[in-house]
Amino acid sequence: MREAVRTRLFFIFGGIFFLLFCYAAVDLPPWGSYRGPYGDVIARVGVYERHATDAVNAVNYDYRAFDTLGEEFILFAAVLGVMMLLRREEGASTHDVGRVVDKLHLSTTVRAIAMLAILVTVVFGFYIGLHGQLTPGGGFQAGVILASVPFLLYVCENTESFRRITSHSAVEVMEALGAGSYALIGLSPLIIGAPFLTNFLPLGKTGDVFSSGTIALISACIGLEVTAAFLLVGYTYLEEIITGEIPEE
Amino acid sequence: MPNVLHLLPYFVAAWLFFCGLYGIVSSKHLVHSVMCLAILQSSTYILLLSIGYRVGGAAPVFADIAPGKRTVDPVVQALMLTDVVVEAVVVALLLAMVVKAHERSGTVSPDELRTLRG
Amino acid sequence: MTAPSPLTPLPVAVPLAGAALLACLRKWLNRTVADTLGIALAAATLLISCFLLASAMHGNSIYWFGNWFPRYSIVLGIGFAVEPIGVGLAVLASTLTLLSLVYSWRLTDSGSNHFQPLMLIFLAAMGGFSLTVDVFNLFVFFELMSTAAFALCGLKTREPAPLQGSFNFAVTNTIAAFLILTSIGFLYAMTGALNMAQIGLALGSRHDPCVLFAFTLMICGFFIKAAMVPFHFWLPDAHAVAPTPVCVLFSGLMVQLGLFAVARLRFIIFAQTFATHEEALQLILLSMGVVTVLIGGVMCYAEHHLKRMLAFSTICHAGIMLLAIALGSPVALAAMMVYLVAHAFIKGGLFFTSGLLLHRLRAIGERALFAKGKGLSWTAALWFLGAAGLAAAPPFLLMTGEAGISSAAEEMGRPWISWACLFGGAITAAAVLRIGMHTFFGWGVEPITDEAAEVGELPETAREDRRTFWYRFAPATACVLIPILLAGLQVWQGVLRDASSVFTSQAGMLHLVYTGSTVAKHLPGWSEALRGSTVRGIIAFLLAVLLACTSVFRLNLKRSLRLGAFLESGIRPLRVLQSGHPGDYVLWLTIGLASLSAASVLLLRR
Repeated sequence: MREAVRTRLFFIFGGIFFLLFCYAAVDLPPWGSYRGPYGDVIARVGVYERHATDAVNAVNYDYRAFDTLGEEFILFAAVLGVMMLLRREEGASTHDVGRVVDKLHLSTTVRAIAMLAILVTVVFGFYIGLHGQLTPGGGFQAGVILASVPFLLYVCENTESFRRITSHSAVEVMEALGAGSYALIGLSPLIIGAPFLTNFLPLGKTGDVFSSGTIALISACIGLEVTAAFLLVGYTYLEEIITGEIPEE
Repeated sequence: MPNVLHLLPYFVAAWLFFCGLYGIVSSKHLVHSVMCLAILQSSTYILLLSIGYRVGGAAPVFADIAPGKRTVDPVVQALMLTDVVVEAVVVALLLAMVVKAHERSGTVSPDELRTLRG
Repeated sequence: MTAPSPLTPLPVAVPLAGAALLACLRKWLNRTVADTLGIALAAATLLISCFLLASAMHGNSIYWFGNWFPRYSIVLGIGFAVEPIGVGLAVLASTLTLLSLVYSWRLTDSGSNHFQPLMLIFLAAMGGFSLTVDVFNLFVFFELMSTAAFALCGLKTREPAPLQGSFNFAVTNTIAAFLILTSIGFLYAMTGALNMAQIGLALGSRHDPCVLFAFTLMICGFFIKAAMVPFHFWLPDAHAVAPTPVCVLFSGLMVQLGLFAVARLRFIIFAQTFATHEEALQLILLSMGVVTVLIGGVMCYAEHHLKRMLAFSTICHAGIMLLAIALGSPVALAAMMVYLVAHAFIKGGLFFTSGLLLHRLRAIGERALFAKGKGLSWTAALWFLGAAGLAAAPPFLLMTGEAGISSAAEEMGRPWISWACLFGGAITAAAVLRIGMHTFFGWGVEPITDEAAEVGELPETAREDRRTFWYRFAPATACVLIPILLAGLQVWQGVLRDASSVFTSQAGMLHLVYTGSTVAKHLPGWSEALRGSTVRGIIAFLLAVLLACTSVFRLNLKRSLRLGAFLESGIRPLRVLQSGHPGDYVLWLTIGLASLSAASVLLLRR
């Protein structure tokens, strides 16, 4: 179809859809007046039942933990897909696309500040990850923060240090362990006859770091998995750009 | 006639959806199409978050407020926050497809890539 | 209250945990061990699902994850409904995945052992999708299914056709996911609930534009997955790039799960919304189904690439299944499920057989295969039996499904639906027969060909491997024999009919969700319609043979009788639309979306 025809048709039909969307939205409850029962019930009882002061993570890792398991495996499947798509094929020729020249001399100031930034990021990442049940944070956020550390290295140091960290086979094992342990934590209550993903660990005192049972544990597993996932994706893309293939370890 | 300000977030979500779709339809570069999918994503997030908002409500974190207080809805926030991280990696998967397509045929324009016609 | 079986989460948890294990040990396992583990896990899931089905047949129950039971009328957790239809789909998913994994034993390339974990994740997603009664959980499993599917399409990276097919697939299905999420937002805003039964209860018989728009968004999202016209453009492209075992799962089950979700919407969430406008809703859905059957059938016959032809035949049969859902009665739903199971196996068998042809003859286009198949007797037998199955000929289960759909159509006063089924079956079977005649008998002259068929596909097995091992034949044979077997056993059909009486009643599902048990009503069978169906099935098969012959022997016929050849060269405007350009596909998506929303908001409001 010619481009002009396509665009014109789209304006007509897309416009109709946009107007219908707005027309339907008029009947929604006005902004700022959330009335539904679900959120209110959880906000009221979440603290007492699960000793978790962060209601959002209580929903994510307890009330609707099964959804989060599914989401985690979406991430897992996407990473497997990236690795499979950009894998090295037998007999393929390497083409040197932009060989990396790692001979830049960065000033000492930059490297010092980078090290400081890395230190702060690591501490902050672990803080966010461990306090998910108390304040906003948790596994997903911590994973993204911690995954940015090797990227900081890549920006401030050189490619070799990045590759040394992320090409280690431990990264893949970590990712699979993170995903698998979430499934295993879910399966463990079945032994005592409780349903899948029941929070069976002792709940502790509200406000402590080690409280709210499996919420903290699941959050940690997810943090592990997300960190490893981003590192794997980063490594796979970098190798693709540098060498046009992924070297098998 | 309802106050437009009360409905503005929903209209913004609708507009973003329209823009995202327009971007994909008229795109001449596959990476641009993938980024328009990210715009569609944002549209759904804005819709979900504005549904859960409550004027005068606190954040649903009871570390320093009593559990009975008026807060915004924690459920939509929970639904959304896992989605954001996950969709980022799904976008990475789509971009990997684009990289591979470029490697195979040397172009990233959808108009030139057509061998699956008919 | 029936205590739910502790096996309920396992059809999802076991494949997921297994996939994590396989991915963990990926670098250190050799190919054989990884394949064996994959097959073992799929077999374990099949066993667990069968036990779960046995427990579901004793009585329906509901399983609450995290032990979160509903409080008063507010559902706090996520629930799985253990009832025969959902669990039956999980059994079907495990069976097809097991057969696919057996087929892919030592296929050339396992993507450095990434393939097996992805297949297991796909299996878990399909199982979870069929069992859940929570609308956001449905979305999560939809996304998981889609992501695993996109990833699996990336296995063959050395194809001559670029990865555009998987890109189109990814873009359209991701838009579908966002449509569903937007709709969930609307429903949550209106009802404050995420459980299907609770939403249905809270919506009541409201049908202001907001509810109708939410309905349209969600249904369009699932129609994209179910490849209904005009959302169907991605399916043939995806099939052209996916490896054979993955194609089996796509056409056999993934597409039909979209229709299953539409059934859940229609019967649980929006059940009372359309109580006053049942006719108008039926009109909209039936017209969509008929257009899908027509376009799917015509495009199917015009294809010369085996897998794309089979993809279009899936679209055609999915249109027939939509006609059954549109009718809305419990009998229609039971018939649709029978049709779904039958079609899954027959289509799977045809895809496995096309994989066998790719393996033995190293080609997948009709012209490239011409006359090369002489002497492949077993493969030919499977191919022709598959064609008979598609036409809904007597010994196959598809005929039983078609009988049910016709009998439901008669009850609802729309007897023309049986003719639509006949057309769909005949034209798709004719395409399969035509290719079979050209390949296995070498009749007629060189077939007409097209661009896509010329591009072809790289073989999936190593050249040295000239023999066809039993593990490549076995899945195809199983897929062709199972529908014949199932047609003979009547017991499971009775169970299915009773289960659908619960599935289609919103009150039944409410009872299940809030009290954990249901009372199943007994539904009468449709055995009187079998006679009419047998006749129609035989007619369809004969018409298919006739049409295929006018194509194959086109040079021996007068110009005016060359109907087959005319259809085969394709109807030009339709071919041009299937352009491979993602912008075109999304434009048609928008056109469909806008038309459906306008139709529902205008026709179905108060």
